[in-house]
Order: sequence, then C-alpha cells, then structure tokens
Amino acid sequence: MSLDPRTKIVLVLVTSVIVMAPGGVTFIPAALALGVLLALGERAWRRAVALPLTAGAVAVVAYLLPLALPYPVIGVVAAVAGYLLRFVAVGGVALHLMRTTTPTQLTAALRAARVPRAITVSLAVMLRFLPAIITEARAVHDAMRLRGLGGGRGLLRHPVLGIERFTVPLIASSLRLADDLSASALLRGLGSPTRPTTMRPPRFGVADLAVLAALTTTAVLR
Amino acid sequence: MIELKGVRWTYSGADGPTLDDFSLQVRRGETVVLCGPSGSGKSTALRLMNGLIPHFHDGTLEGTVHLDGQALADLPLDQIGRLTGTVLQHPRRQFFTDETETELAFALENFGVPPEKIRERVAAAVDDHGLGDLAGRSLQRLSGGQQQQVACAAATVHRPPVLLLDEPTANLSAAAVERFTATLRLLRAQGATIVIAEHRLYHLYGTADRFVVMRDGRIDESATIGDDGLRGLARPTRLQTPLTCAHGPSVAPGATAPLPRAGLRLRGIRCDFHGRRVLDIDESHLPAGTITAVTGPNGAGKSTLARILTGLQRHQGEVLLDGRPLTRTQRQRVSAIVMQDVQRQLFTDSVEAELRLEAGQGSGVHEVLRDLDLERYAGRHPLSLSGGQQQRLVVAAARLSGRRLVVFDEPSSGVDQRHLHSITRVMRDLAAEGAVVLLISHDEELLALAADQELRLRRLARP
Repeated sequence: MSLDPRTKIVLVLVTSVIVMAPGGVTFIPAALALGVLLALGERAWRRAVALPLTAGAVAVVAYLLPLALPYPVIGVVAAVAGYLLRFVAVGGVALHLMRTTTPTQLTAALRAARVPRAITVSLAVMLRFLPAIITEARAVHDAMRLRGLGGGRGLLRHPVLGIERFTVPLIASSLRLADDLSASALLRGLGSPTRPTTMRPPRFGVADLAVLAALTTTAVLR
Repeated sequence: MIELKGVRWTYSGADGPTLDDFSLQVRRGETVVLCGPSGSGKSTALRLMNGLIPHFHDGTLEGTVHLDGQALADLPLDQIGRLTGTVLQHPRRQFFTDETETELAFALENFGVPPEKIRERVAAAVDDHGLGDLAGRSLQRLSGGQQQQVACAAATVHRPPVLLLDEPTANLSAAAVERFTATLRLLRAQGATIVIAEHRLYHLYGTADRFVVMRDGRIDESATIGDDGLRGLARPTRLQTPLTCAHGPSVAPGATAPLPRAGLRLRGIRCDFHGRRVLDIDESHLPAGTITAVTGPNGAGKSTLARILTGLQRHQGEVLLDGRPLTRTQRQRVSAIVMQDVQRQLFTDSVEAELRLEAGQGSGVHEVLRDLDLERYAGRHPLSLSGGQQQRLVVAAARLSGRRLVVFDEPSSGVDQRHLHSITRVMRDLAAEGAVVLLISHDEELLALAADQELRLRRLARP
C-alpha cells in the first residue's frame, strides 16, 4: 500500500490536531493503531512492534507509576510522560511520512496542492540542507579524530576550544555549501516567475480515498 | 555571443580587484579554454558570464558583459539561467535533489516544461551522458567523478546555448575524462558555445578552438601553453608504474616479491554499504618509504580504502603496521589525511597556528610554509585563503604531522604546474622519513611525477 504524499501530510496534520487538542488523550490508542497499520503497510516490522511498546512504557510512567509511588517528583515526571505520550502517538504517523517520502516527492505534492512557493521552496531547501549539514559534521568529526582533536577527553579538558574547533569548520563549510547550492539552484530557475511543473505528478489512488473518507468521518464524529 | 569589455571586479572585502581590465570575446559556437595559474581569476571570469556576478556575489563592477547582445546586469538570474548552463567546482555541493533523474529534471521543472517532455529530455540526457548505471542511486553516495558527470548532465538538460564549466575534469578518471570530452564534442557539434576554466589541458587539445591564458586578473597575450605555471597540452605519459603486491576481487593482481616488514599489510579487507559490497581485498602490502598511487575508475572504492586504512571506517579484516595488527583507534593515531574537501579540516585561526597544532613549537614550520608558497599568508585566517591555498595548507599540516601513514586524496584538483611539483616534494620527503604514503589521484601528470608503485582498484561487479 502506498499513499499519495498529500494524504500522508493530511494524516499527520489531522492526527496531531486531534491528539494535541484538549481531551485528545482518548484518541491516543486510535492514533497508535494508525501508526502501527502504516508501519505494517510499509513493511517496517521493527517500528510496528517498537511503537506500541514505547507508548506502553510511557503510559505506565504517566498513569501507573504515580499510583504506586505517590511522591511529588513522580507527579512531575508523570505529567511530562503524559505529554510525551501524545508526541509518541503523533510521531508514529509522522515517521511514516518521513520514511516513505523523498524531498522531491514532498515538494511535488505541495506544488500540486498549490501551497505558496515561499513555503515549498524554503521547505525544499531545508530538506536538502539538513542531511548535507549532517554529512559535513561527520566529515569534520573524522578530520578532528585524525588530528587528535576529537574524543571525549579533549572535549572535557578544553570544552570551549573543542566546540570552537568543531563548529568553525562546520559553519565555514556549510556556508560554502549554501552559497554553491543557491547559486546553482538560482541559475537552474529556482524562484523563477514561471509556474514550475513536476516530472512525475502525484496521483490520488483508492487507498488515499479510503483513508481520507475514514479521516473525515472521524473528524465529523468528534 | 559573449562579450566582456574592460571589466574590473573587486569582491567586497577583498584587498584588490580579482579582474582588472579584462576583455574577452567568444563567438557563437566557439569553444574557449581559460587557463592560468591558481588565483589568476578564471572562476571569476566564468561568474561574470553566468551573471552570478553581479547578481549573486557582492562587490564592485566596472565595464560591461553582454550575452547574445543583452547586458547581463539588466537580466534577472533565471533568464540568464535559461541561456547558460553552469557546472561550478565541487559538484557535490550543487545538487538540489537526492537522485540522478530528479536532479536532471530540476531545471526543466523550474522552467515549467510539461511533464512528458521532462521525462523525454531526462531519458535522453541519461543516454547522452552514459548515466544509466547511476539511475536510482543516492547522489551523495556517488563518487566524486560520478557526481561530476551528473552535474554536467544537469546543467545542460535544458539545452542552453552557452555552457560554462569550472574545472570539469578535476576529479575524473582517465576513462571518465574521455567520456566527458566526447560529451563536450557532442554539445559543440550541436552548436553550443562553450567556455571552460581548466588546469588539465591535454584532453581539450583538438576539441577547443582557442586557449586563453590568464595571469593576475587579465589576459596574458604573450603567454603560450607550456610556460611556467601552466600544464602542457601533450597527454602525460607515465612509464609503467609497477603494481603493488595485492590480491582480491577489488584489485588488479600485483607481483608477490619477497616483502619488507616495514609498511602496511592488509588482510581480508571487506566493506559493505547498505548491503552492497564496495571493497574486497584479500591481501595487499603497502611498503613504507614509497609513494603508492591508488588508482581506478570513479566509484571503485579509493576513498573508502583510505577511510579504512586511517581507521575512520568500519570494516572486516585486519590491517597491520610493521607486522603488528592495529585497531581502528590506533590507526587514527598514526594516520594523517588530506581530504578532497580541505576546508573541513582547518581548525584554528591562523595559518601558522594550524601548523603549530601539528608541530608544537618545533622547527620546520617556516620551511614548509616556504616550500608550499604560503609564507606570505602565515598570519591569515585559514578560511580567508583561496581553495588552492587551503589545499596547500592542509598538505603542509600533513607534512609536519609525523604520522606513519599519510593519505593524499586528490591533492591536485585546482592545482597548477608549480604547486604540482611542491606537493610532490612533500610526499617524497614524507616517504624518505619512512612513512607509508598513499596518493589517490586520477591526475596523470601528478602520478607521472610522484607514483613509485600502483595499487589499481577495480569496480566490483554488481550482484
């Protein structure tokens, strides 16, 4: 089963609104079930198991622990866990979006949904840039290890120097990356006044219809 | 087609102009090569032709630039983009998407070409540039040479009449250079006007109509190819470099002569990325005191081998130094590397401090700075140096590192003739002190100068 990226975005939005709204706790099991179903649909077996287990563990801390140990500190921990549980429930659905949608597909979907260009372009740049920064950070870390600058001991002895030596080359190379990336993208028409097209426009399928119908029903009934 | 008249350009914050009284005319359909020593203004000249100057970079511009009769200063950048295709240095940094096909489609999508036409053009570009093998693979995981090929295809897919290339063959293997030259001839035959900034010149002989020599920001009319600081036009000939002792699917087998103990020994080295084997060497020996060139086609695993040997990459098998097996952490302590992207490995606030980090207060810093033509910049911040100067600075740091294994990963991209020799001297000195020196390069000119023996990698067959 594969859903249109637009359906996945709507799923994430609706789930978070329902679960995060006051009284949303009652919908957490439903959101979790949805997350598990989506995980099964993309054959992510590990997530299908890990999601309910994580949620269960957090729920135990949120609801059972305060009954067993009636201390104020535990009360605070339980309240935090209660919030965390909502994020876990939404996270399952959001992970599905992130794992099954490439940045290109996402941009295409947003374009098709006629989302303003200011948003699609900045989102596309962000999606492109984050993994690039991670690659840069790894390379800088490698270089530091070879120069004998990496490792926990050096960082403990000179924390500020250690952070500086990591961040300065990282920022420098990220800035260059940003420069080259924007120069090349602008020359290839990013931000041109022409309405952009898409090589493989997204298409709604039967699965999308079913999911959207179910969602609308839930939202109306609520 | 392209006309630059009396151009003087100063980057904001720079001490002096990068181009001064620069004039050049390129006729329609002509292929012109800009050559000249590092820092002579070749890249800047290209930026003037694609409008990045003055639309993207800050500075002061005098003089005029016309493209097809239109003043570039008056055209918006995306309009210029329809007329020009540009490949900047470092293709890795120019990709906007995650895959070959979507990257090729990027310009067409932005210019509003209908979907079926995009698919047709992308398929044609994949054919023309021989990218069939790369379809569906993550761009960031391709080798430097493969990325260069994709960048070149992505810049020409909207069929601009003008093509601008900044050191397009810097990291390409001999075979890839040949493929690239063939593409260039094809585009030229289709009527494209082409301007190339390049150090390696031999492959352009017979394709280019004109070689223009730049020096200190202007055209040097009196210079001829082969002068001091310029690389030659003749295809470099490397005498048969003996193959190093090696066996396994990833390597060309070399002699099994009696081996000295000193040096690196590899046993059963295997490495997988995402379930795909990228390197498989049963046995190899890299002797101390020699410069071993690691060669092979783009994507054969050269940089991966370097990461394994220096202890940065997980792998199976063992690596022994002078007969003693070393763990990855131990190897990190005895290794130094000059990476392909050097600005990731500059950590301090001055050129001299960068070298003191290696040498402490020890001697040798000034000699190395002099040898690599960096003495003038001793007090400068490393990040304010040009790409070529940064490269030499990292080479200098490796020289002073006192490590037993020193890897140079493509140290000559963007390097002119003079510095080719100074980098070679550094490698020789390191070898003379008993280090295992590995030189990963496609640059036949550098290999002819420096390589004592060769470890030739082969691309593993896809299962």
